[in-house]
Amino acid sequence: MFSLRRGPVNFLWLATVLFTVAPLLITAQVDPDPNSPTPVLISIEGAPRLLTYQALKSRKHSLARPSLDFIRPSGLAVMFVANLDLMEGEDAGAFRIYARDEKGRTYRFPVVDLAPTPDQPGVYAITFRVKDEIGYWPEPIARGDLVVRLSWRGLSSNELLLGYGSKGGRLSTEKNLKSSSLNDFHASESPSPDRATSALAGIGYRRSGDRRRFLEQATFGPTLELDARVRRLGLRVWLGEQFNKPYPSAAYPYPNISLKSTNTDDIALGCGPAPVPTTLEYRICIRDHYSMYPVQKWFFSEALYGDAQLRHRVAWALSQIWVISGIDTQQSSWMLAYHKALSQNAFGNYRDLMKAMTLNPGMGNYLDMARSTRNNPNENYPREVLQLFTVGRFELNQDGTLKFDAINNPIPSYDQETVNNFTKAFTGWTLCNTGCPSSATGIQNYKDPMILTNQGSNHDLTAKTLFTYPGAPFANIPACTGCTGTARDTYARNSLEQTLDNIFHHPNVGPFVSKILIQHLVTSDPTPAYVSRVAGKFNDNGYSVRGDLQAVVRAILLDPEARGDVKTDPNFGKLREPVQLLTNLARQVGIKGANASGLSDGVVVGQTTNLGQNAFNSPSVFNYYPPDNVIPGTALLGPEFKLLTTGTSIGRANFVNTMVFSQIGISENSPLGTSLDFAELQGIAASDTTSSLLVDALNTRMLHGTMSASVRSSILTAVNAIPSSNPLQRAKQAVYLVATSSQYQVQR
Amino acid sequence: MNESRRDFLKKSGCALGMAAIATQMHHLGAMSALAQRSISRQGSLLSGADEGYKALVLVFFAGGNDGNNMVIPIHNDASVSNYAAYSAARNTQGLAIPQASLLPISVPAIGGLSYGLHPSLGPVSGQPNNGIYGLWALGKLAVVSNVGTLVRPLTKAQYQNASYQKPSQLFSHSDQIAQSQTAVANTESFTGWGGRLSDRMTPLQPPAPNDPLIPMITSIAGSQLFTSGQTTLPMAIADSGTSLANVLNPAGFTNTGGAARKVSFDQLRGYDWDSNYIRAASDVTNLALQANNALQSTSEVTVSFPNTSIGRQLKQAARIIKERADLRVQRQIFFCQVGGFDTHSNQLNTQSNLLTQFSQGVRAFYDEMGVQGVSDNVTLFTMSDFARTLNPAGSGATVGTDHAWGNHMFVIGGSVQGGNFYGMPTANGTPFPTLTIGAAGPDDTDSNSTARGRWIPTTSVEQYASILAKWYGLPQDAPTLASVFPNIGNFDTASGALNFLL
Repeated sequence: MFSLRRGPVNFLWLATVLFTVAPLLITAQVDPDPNSPTPVLISIEGAPRLLTYQALKSRKHSLARPSLDFIRPSGLAVMFVANLDLMEGEDAGAFRIYARDEKGRTYRFPVVDLAPTPDQPGVYAITFRVKDEIGYWPEPIARGDLVVRLSWRGLSSNELLLGYGSKGGRLSTEKNLKSSSLNDFHASESPSPDRATSALAGIGYRRSGDRRRFLEQATFGPTLELDARVRRLGLRVWLGEQFNKPYPSAAYPYPNISLKSTNTDDIALGCGPAPVPTTLEYRICIRDHYSMYPVQKWFFSEALYGDAQLRHRVAWALSQIWVISGIDTQQSSWMLAYHKALSQNAFGNYRDLMKAMTLNPGMGNYLDMARSTRNNPNENYPREVLQLFTVGRFELNQDGTLKFDAINNPIPSYDQETVNNFTKAFTGWTLCNTGCPSSATGIQNYKDPMILTNQGSNHDLTAKTLFTYPGAPFANIPACTGCTGTARDTYARNSLEQTLDNIFHHPNVGPFVSKILIQHLVTSDPTPAYVSRVAGKFNDNGYSVRGDLQAVVRAILLDPEARGDVKTDPNFGKLREPVQLLTNLARQVGIKGANASGLSDGVVVGQTTNLGQNAFNSPSVFNYYPPDNVIPGTALLGPEFKLLTTGTSIGRANFVNTMVFSQIGISENSPLGTSLDFAELQGIAASDTTSSLLVDALNTRMLHGTMSASVRSSILTAVNAIPSSNPLQRAKQAVYLVATSSQYQVQR
Repeated sequence: MNESRRDFLKKSGCALGMAAIATQMHHLGAMSALAQRSISRQGSLLSGADEGYKALVLVFFAGGNDGNNMVIPIHNDASVSNYAAYSAARNTQGLAIPQASLLPISVPAIGGLSYGLHPSLGPVSGQPNNGIYGLWALGKLAVVSNVGTLVRPLTKAQYQNASYQKPSQLFSHSDQIAQSQTAVANTESFTGWGGRLSDRMTPLQPPAPNDPLIPMITSIAGSQLFTSGQTTLPMAIADSGTSLANVLNPAGFTNTGGAARKVSFDQLRGYDWDSNYIRAASDVTNLALQANNALQSTSEVTVSFPNTSIGRQLKQAARIIKERADLRVQRQIFFCQVGGFDTHSNQLNTQSNLLTQFSQGVRAFYDEMGVQGVSDNVTLFTMSDFARTLNPAGSGATVGTDHAWGNHMFVIGGSVQGGNFYGMPTANGTPFPTLTIGAAGPDDTDSNSTARGRWIPTTSVEQYASILAKWYGLPQDAPTLASVFPNIGNFDTASGALNFLL
């Protein structure tokens, strides 16, 4: 049987809490070296050509076999890779093989198997099929070499030639390809030579690049203070601290906005009829109650200055899964109640989050469950809860890849008949307009959870056929024919719990939710192995608890694919969404009010709106961008790229221009305004007439040390075109160039 | 050798101007074997001056428009569904539009019977123009009926038989939007049919120095699958709230150090291309800056457009069309969108408002095209995720509808053979579905008690789209057609029932 109550708190984390209450006692947490070794593909002797031959059934792939000049299209072949440091259970799904043809088109070859070689310790044979699995371009033409490389944990191997159908062709003359035969490669070298000494090498978590990357993933942007704290505590202890931080931060409590009449003109419970001429009082009444303004202002204030960054970040990600939008949510108080329910469960259990969202009245309005009755059922919530919030459209393996049927088609997770049945299960709930804490005459109670109407009188009492999968709880909810009174009441309540359990235990939920959260925090196209490790934690946090979101978040942020000072896999990373672009820039440079030294008021949403992300006003339940968005003209998965068009790419540059060379001025709705604070960078610029220190500081703060030599040189030239007597302008010049660069727009 | 977009962008870096890029863009496609064949077949199809100009303007009704309340029978002929049949399905819950308020149209394809358009499509109090209703009488507005996603034609019996192939993920917004925009219903597609049309047509445009200065496709509603080609990319810009001169113009560069800053700003986009994400972001900015040079125009349209989202989108499209000669474009595709049609509740007011905005904006656009003298050169058409259930969801003031399938589309323009219904015949022999739910309804998907009135489409998205593409000038040889519409071979495209464009 399934335990319906889950205990998200476990002993390990209690221990962590005990540690973190006395952080002064802790000088450092021993975090392992975050840098995985870089995989090395083995070439034939003396030439930059992949050592390869047709795969054998036995999996005994000896390096001693003679290499083939070419592999036939669709054939199964092996390649050899060294310099790995595999975790337990890490298998073929951790690797990706990319091939590039002479047209520059990239293909991906499916990795079939990973096995140690019998004759060389530390060298692995990888079996792959020479067939594109992306399908964006037609299969490459078999007339010569492809350039292949392998990636693992966000790190790219060397590149080598692979004969595809035949050997030779234009790519054979490509520069930068070097042989890496076994003789050149000394397997005896430790893949991570400083692993054993890192904890002794100094105080704290010294990995500057990884610290910054970690904070880009876990917060709304690294600051000097946060960076120092993570250095002192280490990643794991810092996570434990964040899991238990009061939220929202004491300085930025949720705005306390009262429910109003749905009729804005109502004199007593609305804002009254619009006066002519308009008055400040009226405008503020409308703004604060009938728009998302207070939610947005609070949200950005917490993001810019709050100290419960991780919960804020995860709640923001969850709000882009369980979407409700101000477009159909009349009042800010409704959205705030929704966000409270979301954030309270952000580090709890997913099953509890599912129930809180299902009965949230804002959601009930947005997706119509509050109006769905047995006689007039509404399919909106049932369909989207399955498609977008929990299970997804197709059956998944634990690693997030699609399952296929006998004729190689993806298997739909459900059909219209399923939706009809779930629709019945979700009928009969409505707003609590009497008897709940926020119930009052004349207003609709969009704060308190929805309640069952009249002991279930609007609930469909017929049988429901739900998901069937191995071990599925409540796959069939029997009818309650003729039930009345408390029997009906109990039946309807149980039906809801059972329905949520039936969804929650669907094997898709772990990989589905895990992959989207990885995409929001770390990278757009995680390897199946990464998804599988996180989904494994979703399925069981180690204490037989399913759905523990703390365990999921920890697994996402501490995974070897997420960690490391630098990532070289060309397909690693993600475009910063507009909200993250704004908050990261603000926190990395410094942020204050306009014309003064005080704090920003947080009224900045106009900037992200221009870039396609009007926070809390998603265009639809499908969020600002879908998790499966493919970048036009490529085969790259890139959700946030949905928001990057010719128009918004220039918009991003113009946003940076506004922030760097101007400011968000003071106005009626922006009492303090917002501007970047250049004081510190100006000081750095003034201290070094060569500007090296300035550019290096931005490299560390904004690019976590990955600025390439050509970028650095270009920016230095532009900065030094300004006289050293003007260090403020120099600092602005440098920040503008880093912040507008694609190198910064992409979080890697 | 055929080159990819990557190749030429990589080679061109950021130093080349738009003309040079456009030259390479032209060459990349022009040298493909397919295009070569097309050119020889079509000769000077796209050469010559203004009379060769053609534009397709898609207005997408996002969310799933309830076509059942947009085009409604008024007549009393019970042999094809009449007003009583419509009313019987919707009046109890309060969703039926009163017969007297409908805007009557006579439909030659259905024996001259009277149908009605939604009242918001005609003159509406307080609105600037008379809406699109009047275009019916002028013969410039056609209805294509019961259009939807299909893999191949499907009868009711086949639909209910699991062994017949149906579009994947029917009734799901995201999937049905994607299938409408890609015209591929049996698998996921990375490219839209507008994008593929652009891929095939871009090489047919004149070579340098007369080559176009902006991409063939413009979206005024963000990044859309419809606009993504494999070798051509769209320009996506803001609506007329921003002038053409400013819509892709990077601000700044005039203050201290501005010139040096611009140099570096441009240089940085050429670096670190070993990251595909960095490269993809730089590509988009490069495309924007190239187009920006061409868009430095201040001319304005003549007709007054309503200040709604769709009004501003269409106004921006009209501005670009007015600049067609200077931009050297001879073929253009525009994507515009009206959102908010997912009316599970509060449908009556919501749909009425949205159709008013659509009708007012489109009428202004049509009139502006007349002023510009390109009425016959510009065809506007609609699409949507899907239709909505004939059977309402909920009742009373908040009544709505759920997701369905086959839907009605509008096609508007000087080249449209308007004043009629088009579409492959439904079970009743007309293009219009039978408004009967369940076992007795030959067009409804379902026969059991859960049937809601979801029409099985009789005209597929690619049938509808291929007629538009043919008018646009897509070469009609089988390989070219199949390269834009992979499943077109499953459908009849020669039927006179689809002959809605001259």
